[in-house]
Amino acid sequence: MNYPVWDVAFGAGLLMALVAGLHVFISHFAVGGGLFLVLTERKARRNNDSKLLAWLKSHTRFFVLLTVVFGAVSGVGIWFTIGLISPTATSNLIHIFVWGWAIEWVFFFLEITAALLYLYGWEKLEPSLHEWFGWVYFVAAFASMVVINGIITFMLTPGNWIANHQFWSGFFNPTYLPSLLFRFCISLALAGIYALITASVQRDAELKARIVRWGALWTVPSLLLLPVFAWWYIRAIPHDLWLSARGAMPTGTHFALLACLLLGGTFLLALISLIRPTRLHLAFSLLLAVVAFGAMDSFEFVRESVRKPFVIENYLYANSVYAASMPGDGGFTVDNINSAGVLKTARWVENRELTGNNQVAAGREIFRVECQSCHTADSYRGIHQYIVKRQWDRDKLHAMLGVLFLMHNTVMPPFAGTDAEMNALSAYLGSLQPMNPPADLHPDGKAVFDQNCSMCHQARADDHLFSNMPKDPQTAIATLNSLPAMFPLMPDLKLSEDERRALVQWVYSQNSATAAQGGN
Amino acid sequence: MFGPSMVPTPDPNPLPAPFWVFKLLLVVTFYLHILAMNFMLGGAALALLARWRQKGNRFGTRIFFDVAKKVPVLMAATISLGIAPLLFVQVLYGQFFYTSSILVAWPWFLVLVFLIAAYYGFYFVSYRGERRPRSAGRVMLFSTALVLIIGFIYTNNLTLSQVPANWAQKYFSSTSGWNLNLSEPTLVPRYLHFMTAAVAVGGLYLVLIAWTKWKQDKDYARAIFQLGGKAFLYATMAQFVIGFWFLFSLPRALRMVFMGADPLATGLLCFGIVGALASIFMMSAALKKGNIRLAALGVTGITALVVLGMSVMRELLRMAYLKPYYNPQQFAVQTQWSPFLLFLALFVAGGAFWFVLLKRYGIFSRR
Repeated sequence: MNYPVWDVAFGAGLLMALVAGLHVFISHFAVGGGLFLVLTERKARRNNDSKLLAWLKSHTRFFVLLTVVFGAVSGVGIWFTIGLISPTATSNLIHIFVWGWAIEWVFFFLEITAALLYLYGWEKLEPSLHEWFGWVYFVAAFASMVVINGIITFMLTPGNWIANHQFWSGFFNPTYLPSLLFRFCISLALAGIYALITASVQRDAELKARIVRWGALWTVPSLLLLPVFAWWYIRAIPHDLWLSARGAMPTGTHFALLACLLLGGTFLLALISLIRPTRLHLAFSLLLAVVAFGAMDSFEFVRESVRKPFVIENYLYANSVYAASMPGDGGFTVDNINSAGVLKTARWVENRELTGNNQVAAGREIFRVECQSCHTADSYRGIHQYIVKRQWDRDKLHAMLGVLFLMHNTVMPPFAGTDAEMNALSAYLGSLQPMNPPADLHPDGKAVFDQNCSMCHQARADDHLFSNMPKDPQTAIATLNSLPAMFPLMPDLKLSEDERRALVQWVYSQNSATAAQGGN
Repeated sequence: MFGPSMVPTPDPNPLPAPFWVFKLLLVVTFYLHILAMNFMLGGAALALLARWRQKGNRFGTRIFFDVAKKVPVLMAATISLGIAPLLFVQVLYGQFFYTSSILVAWPWFLVLVFLIAAYYGFYFVSYRGERRPRSAGRVMLFSTALVLIIGFIYTNNLTLSQVPANWAQKYFSSTSGWNLNLSEPTLVPRYLHFMTAAVAVGGLYLVLIAWTKWKQDKDYARAIFQLGGKAFLYATMAQFVIGFWFLFSLPRALRMVFMGADPLATGLLCFGIVGALASIFMMSAALKKGNIRLAALGVTGITALVVLGMSVMRELLRMAYLKPYYNPQQFAVQTQWSPFLLFLALFVAGGAFWFVLLKRYGIFSRR
């Protein structure tokens, strides 16, 4: 709205996921791995274990080359990328937490310095002084996590900040502490997982086995503790948001499931590595790392999904529209855009006026400023594929756009703009996939449900559609004829009588199946 | 149609400290960043030069590896010190900086890719170079070229951020982010001005290295001194052409800012010119007499002040460019005292502790 939208052909969200996904997997290692280095050094020195020490030296180099180069640059990379994709959100986070970022920078600077001195110090420093540098590194790295965690959790649970706009209210928000412990746990687990990578290429089988066991001592307990903090974390998230990960929103639910499965997979693989630690192969350690990477990124996806439609909960929608008006909002609020029109409000559109000839072109611009922060036309989260799957024509698209904000546990923002603009957007979306009139005269009830109802309703006995369906088929079919008359927020879908009949029959069959199950 | 109304509305949150605090932090941290960048890029370029000019210089390879081994650390410093000005520029100029970045989004994003590749290249030379000297030269060249490209992308983005009048045409002709700012008349002289400065300051870095080796290894130190000193000399002389080219490529109204209209800007430009002249004479005298102290202390001292002055001038130029669109008075200020003071305390303590780290490591003790 306020800023131009960068047209990334394959989807801006995918690019963001790529950069952030790689960064978190390394930045967490940078914290836990720091503690791992210094404690392993202490252990090796106490036991006069020169072999372990020699391995640790090479592991330090691996650690620094990964965290100081890739970790640091990809961290800056997140800033670059969110600035390109969500400039309004980035600007808000920068302005709200300037001093937080600045403090984090001080720690980061010390962290990088200490990491390099620790690495180069292997050749030069007395053991106790070298360990001291390791501790400095770890404390600085942990401190930078302590700071950045406040800003990340703020986006999901801004807490009292929404009312008072106070720095510390936003920083120490409801998910701050569980998230910090959760992430620290992840970082300890990753320290062990990464250690396996450099251990696996050791020739000395006995040394390899010792490192594998020592690494497992970091990974296994951390993974066991992780669900405890996860539970606490989830409890701190408002219940209605969390429903998105419990079936109401496909993305959130899929990734929540995936996170659990891959976390279990990580745990199992970590245990398997202990069976024959002397023969741990590089491929196995990499597999373990990839599975852990998947688990961690799935968690990040869940965190971002349940926050939708907001990028900063209850404050800023993902498409850079503010939830409520405030001084300096530039008019980028839903209410203002609804009355003034999106084409007149958005800065970076060419079609300021709607005419008979520019419906599709203007609709395309509306799509760019309102939808493209998360969707593409036909790639990542492509609208095209949704339309094909659901067989929506232009009228149905228009009806559905009116109730966007109800879909999938309210994970979509409301359409902001005038009715004529909604028409233009429907014209553009309709142009992606011209629909043929349905040839099937005997529609399938489940298909009718999937195509028309499943965005807001779930096939469950306690869903309104199922629990309130009139018992008499004729009444039910008649009632479904005018959805808004039933509930004013419902879209006017104009289902045919055949479709309504099929839907009603299918709902009955589902209800009786549920009743039968309950009766057993 | 696409006038000043295209400039995005500034962020609605009030500034959490007075405007001048951010301005000061922006200039100071940019100054530190640019010094580190000059050491890194200039050092890398001169390492390559040492290697290519082997004739009559028996130390070429040794200088190459000695300097090349320090480049990764200088790169770390450049990046770490670059984060702060990146933060503060977003605080003060976000509406310009985000917009221009989006217009050149793909090159801007590719900075990250190039940076990672260049960085690993430098590490390769540092760790494996001596065992594989032939590929070390090629990799060093490759990484240095990538850094030069990154600098070029930066110049494209930052020049574009200052000229909102050029935005709309660029964006609406392509929203894909595959843009640069090649039509900008100041682009090439501005870029060359910064890159040449990197060679000059990189030369001083070599002089400083020579100084630390002056007593133990005179012949070698003298060779590094000659290379670094001459690089400084020629690069600074070249600035008299490039600098004036840059000045005269500016639109007349902006040029006048440095030619009388703004006393501070004019004074700083005069100081820069006088300082550069003085440093040229001083360096050539130092080279003739083999007086390393004069070069390492005198020339470096003057240059440090000149670069500081230039950093302020850069900021004054930005303000002049943005005058029609930007008014510092437009910011609401609501100082967040406790996080601000916490930052200041940590900044000072962190800076002091940083020196403790270096001291305990033994950087300051000669061995």
